[in-house]
Amino acid sequence: MADFSLERLDVDGALAEAVDGVGGLSRAGFMAAGLGGSLALLGVAAGEARAQGPGPGDLAILNYALTLEYLQASFYTEAERLRALKGRTERAAEVVGSVERAHVRAFRELLGSKAVKRPAFDFQGVTENPRAFLKTAVAFEDLAVAAYKGQAPRLESSSVLAAALSIHSVEARHAAWMRYLFGANPAQAAFDQPSSKREVLRIVRSTNFVTGSPSTERNRAPRYTG
Amino acid sequence: MASPKDADGSGPARQPEEPYAQRSARARVPLAARGGNRFLLPADPIRNDPSRGIPRAQFVAGAIVAGGAALAAGVAAGPLEDSSAQSERELRALQLLLLVEYTEDTFYQEAVDRGALRGELKEYAAAVASQEREHLDLLRQVLGAKADPRPGFEFGSATRDADGFAAAAAELEDLAVAAYNGQATNVSRSTLEAAATIVSVEARHAAWIRSIVGDPPAPDATDKPRSADEVLDGLEQIGLRR
Repeated sequence: MADFSLERLDVDGALAEAVDGVGGLSRAGFMAAGLGGSLALLGVAAGEARAQGPGPGDLAILNYALTLEYLQASFYTEAERLRALKGRTERAAEVVGSVERAHVRAFRELLGSKAVKRPAFDFQGVTENPRAFLKTAVAFEDLAVAAYKGQAPRLESSSVLAAALSIHSVEARHAAWMRYLFGANPAQAAFDQPSSKREVLRIVRSTNFVTGSPSTERNRAPRYTG
Repeated sequence: MASPKDADGSGPARQPEEPYAQRSARARVPLAARGGNRFLLPADPIRNDPSRGIPRAQFVAGAIVAGGAALAAGVAAGPLEDSSAQSERELRALQLLLLVEYTEDTFYQEAVDRGALRGELKEYAAAVASQEREHLDLLRQVLGAKADPRPGFEFGSATRDADGFAAAAAELEDLAVAAYNGQATNVSRSTLEAAATIVSVEARHAAWIRSIVGDPPAPDATDKPRSADEVLDGLEQIGLRR
């Protein structure tokens, strides 16, 4: 498990050894799978929740979830843009990226004017190398699973809870998928443990991936090391 | 398969050829040691119930501690709402999830016993069989004397040949995720806390088997919950005989 701790990620490019793609599947058609129906589902849940008006506790949790979704969506989007990934990993990044962006949209819709803004990110080069990318993806997805699990029982609104759980298990699918592509055990224990908000945010801060206010992001050139 | 060096350089190289099941067993130790007991009730009534059929040692073993304690606390103390209607709803939800776990446990055990699987599928089946057994043990422990008995199953060729196995396993894992998601709002928050430690593992299994056969591991942005009736229909199609 320490293998994928974000705190231990080597972001200085020492991850350059090329062990690309373990296992032998190469079937096309990942992108054929549609996202339409599920977005409608989340939309319905979001609509119901907004009609009831989430309480302050739920709003705080939703903004916390949105922050984690921003982090993930930006990571995959940058990886896609830099075109450093190949084959199955590239396709996985496209699919998972589009799903994380859909999660961002759903939370923003649900939160309306109360949504926190997207921070600026600097992924410190991990989007530029397939191995570093996968390792970070595993860490992000495992963290997201633990984060959602930590918050779900605290949600007051049943419709927000249902929506959050329907995302929680998708993050777990992503975690297993990225682990599989990395060559790691997709399900290493019978029970997945939750993480507190404090612990999750501490880990996220320790990466220095979050660099500042939204206004600086657009002007920053991506950092190429290769 | 190339042997990947430990990528962060801080530990020994991993052994990719080591079966997942063994790594999984090892990984359980730190989990249990991570203070999972915090949800235990002082009186711990469920563990002292003599009517329960499962040895206490088995219950305490391994990673069951964390989830089990929370789930046991939820059921033993009664839901926070503490009305009999809510208890009844929670009991029905737990019985449905028990049925899901009976199906998974029987399915994987049969597939492992028949020995028709090779390579990645064999590794997957062995690892998942042991995890589903832990899920089943937990639910049976929690339900105690109220637990429905294991029903009969006929999985046909799904536990005899690789293609049939992979297809049925993917269907079963997707169904398990949908079943847990569907029951989340029918149980108390403390029971949910424990159930949530299981559902994401079912989702990992679903993505794993789908990865092995080259199907999309996470085809949707959300995992749609399914009702109890839909879950029962799905289980019957896979092999549940009632």
